[in-house]
Amino acid sequence: MTEYEENEQQMDCALDLMRRLPPQNVEENLVTLLEIMPELTEDLLSAVDQPLKLRQDAKEGKEYLACDYNRDGDSYRSPWSNEYDPPLVDGNVPSDRLRKLEVAANEAFSTYKELYYEGGVSSVYLWDMDDSFAGVVLIKKVNDGTVRSKGSWDSIHVIEVLEKGRQAHYKLTSTVMLYTVASAAKGDRLNEINLSGSLTRQDERELPVDDSNAHIVNIGRMVEDIEFKMRNALQEVYFGKTHDIVNSLRSATDLNEAKNRERLQRDLFGQLKNRSE
Amino acid sequence: MSSKEQISKAVSLLLSSPPGEVDDVFNDIRGIVNDDDALQEQIEPVLAESNMQQFLVVDVPDRESKVLITPYNQIEEGRYLDPNTQAVFAFDHLRRVASDPQDHEDSSEDDGSKKALRAALQQELNTYVEAHYPEGAASVFVHEGSLVSCIVSNKFSPNNYWNGSWRAVWSFNAETGQLNGSIKVKVHYFEDGNVQLDTQSDFATDVPGSPQPADSKSMARKVAKLIKGYEAEFQQGVNDGYRQLSEKTFKGLRRTLPVTRSKIDWEKIANYKLGGELANAEN
Repeated sequence: MTEYEENEQQMDCALDLMRRLPPQNVEENLVTLLEIMPELTEDLLSAVDQPLKLRQDAKEGKEYLACDYNRDGDSYRSPWSNEYDPPLVDGNVPSDRLRKLEVAANEAFSTYKELYYEGGVSSVYLWDMDDSFAGVVLIKKVNDGTVRSKGSWDSIHVIEVLEKGRQAHYKLTSTVMLYTVASAAKGDRLNEINLSGSLTRQDERELPVDDSNAHIVNIGRMVEDIEFKMRNALQEVYFGKTHDIVNSLRSATDLNEAKNRERLQRDLFGQLKNRSE
Repeated sequence: MSSKEQISKAVSLLLSSPPGEVDDVFNDIRGIVNDDDALQEQIEPVLAESNMQQFLVVDVPDRESKVLITPYNQIEEGRYLDPNTQAVFAFDHLRRVASDPQDHEDSSEDDGSKKALRAALQQELNTYVEAHYPEGAASVFVHEGSLVSCIVSNKFSPNNYWNGSWRAVWSFNAETGQLNGSIKVKVHYFEDGNVQLDTQSDFATDVPGSPQPADSKSMARKVAKLIKGYEAEFQQGVNDGYRQLSEKTFKGLRRTLPVTRSKIDWEKIANYKLGGELANAEN
């Protein structure tokens, strides 16, 4: 096995492992993998989604989100001031044209975030590709809520754009990471239910680009549509499916009673049938 | 790869396996370590711990009996007791097969009252488990002077992208009349994602009428009734928790639609902001 093949195999196994280990501990599990395979640090950091980190842009007095997409070394770029913290002299920044689009996209998604999340923090980062560009739309909402429940929602929408004259091809890969905890105290007992996880969905569209803001309109609609679908999927998967599974592990009612009832009904039906014949 | 310490870290991830996926997690660890000889050296005790943690249900060879693999019936390394048939057998944690059944020579100083109580409780729990767990199993052991009851119910459906397990341990001390319990439920749903339910609850209570001497049948009935009551209450608590998460927590994070009940007018949003930006740029 060549070193390249070994690394490929290790990455595949690491990603499969992350799909199985409890999402409640995604950060700890990733740290463990990094300790085991330090040579794959960069690959793992870019392939494994982690909860987004909140950072403060001191210059603009606004919060922004940090992830692998706005990281350069140990510094993170703010979408508001376009500056790195800690400062970098030659940190990666988008071209002037793309930075303009980035500024507008940040404004637009900030409005989107207010309308759907009624709070939270959003950040959009764009970067130049050979003859096109790519970007990521991030949204984080944390609900410290009450003692009885808390939750957080992280959206990570990675978008690749291929410009072809007056058309553009958009490829969207969206991940939502949800963390919810409810606790119920009864007497001196505490029940804690932790339901967490992530879902990933993709979408691709070919859309017209006829004026300067078309990219924002197109990406905005795609993100809005996929979040709508994912929210519904989460409600079904998170709350519907896993809840049903719990109640299939243990039956709240006596299974014998149900069987007896069935037998009784069968007998009764048989008797009625005999009588009517 | 890699130092002993690194391999040990990789191997320890096995203990975080979702229900029914130990083999998959093992294969991933094997691919990461990529050194079967080094893995072999460290995997055995972790596999043993994992099997005991999962309350593996095994057929006792030659005895037509099933028993759970737990820390409470491990007589010595790799050998387990089936108290219902008084057999001790070897268990291969890697292949998960039992072999070499031997009659158990009981060296405890029990006057027979604990054995009678254990047998009575086993019978009560068999009836209870049959009534409430479509695929459940229970074993009662005498462990360090207490009666330890283990209940497990698994449903694995990897083709439909889900696995779930319910595990409970109840420890009854007949001398003090104390009953302690712990229930753990884990569910993994993994179609295009990784969603897990993790919930646990601990209980402690005194069994009424104990520790006065009572006949083992009626004492066993009392203990089983308490276990049944707590487990039913726990299940109700989980159902209430789901309602709380779905109706409050989830809705508080993201709305289905904006207050206007219609999707966003992106032309308007983008034009307004970008227009402002361009105007500034031209000035």
